Amino acid sequence: MELEALQGVESDVRAQGAQLVVITPELERYTRALHRKLNLTFDILTDLHLKTAERFGLVFELPDYLRDLYRSFGSTLDRFNDEPGYRLPMPARYVIDTSGTIRLAQVNADYTIRPEPSDTVKMLATLEKSNQ
Amino acid sequence: MPSLQQRLDEYKKNFESGGPPFHVSPEAVATMHRATAELKASGIESRALKAGDRAPEFNLFNQDHAQVSSTELLRQGPLVISFFRGHW
Repeated sequence: MELEALQGVESDVRAQGAQLVVITPELERYTRALHRKLNLTFDILTDLHLKTAERFGLVFELPDYLRDLYRSFGSTLDRFNDEPGYRLPMPARYVIDTSGTIRLAQVNADYTIRPEPSDTVKMLATLEKSNQ
Repeated sequence: MPSLQQRLDEYKKNFESGGPPFHVSPEAVATMHRATAELKASGIESRALKAGDRAPEFNLFNQDHAQVSSTELLRQGPLVISFFRGHW
């Protein structure tokens, strides 16, 4: 759902002279299928073993009781992510300016809450103005 | 068109009430709520990078196995990054 919503603002992001990428621990064979299925025009980057997410401070380990629950649903994170440790990134959205400084950070430990893509685009617009 | 969050909330309502296709039990929902509450309480959000911090550089493969570097992207303009936990 989030990827489709991001696709919906992709042209607005581009119109601001910016680019959009998604970073996920999922392996390339899964991102490739997802990318084709949703007809995305932005890249999905595979963050193998969460090395990049770690540097953003987003990684957490699922507690045992949650792992057991997900397994009972038939979910196999280790297969999708080659991640036997059952770690995940918190959902997060960042806007980074051309100097490499983070200008907007939207992070929530509750994965059922996602930042609105249109709000991210609004922030991008103010960023462009302040640089002119 | 409903916002992303409105659609997520709708999905969550169905999921947590045991609707199809998952037919999840109230116990399972309670377990998931517990995990989220514990993660929030751990203070992890405040340890994540914030506005004003320097973004780490990265060099990752895209869906077509092409290498994508953040330095290269930032040369062309600002960058929006969305971290996605996957569709599993």
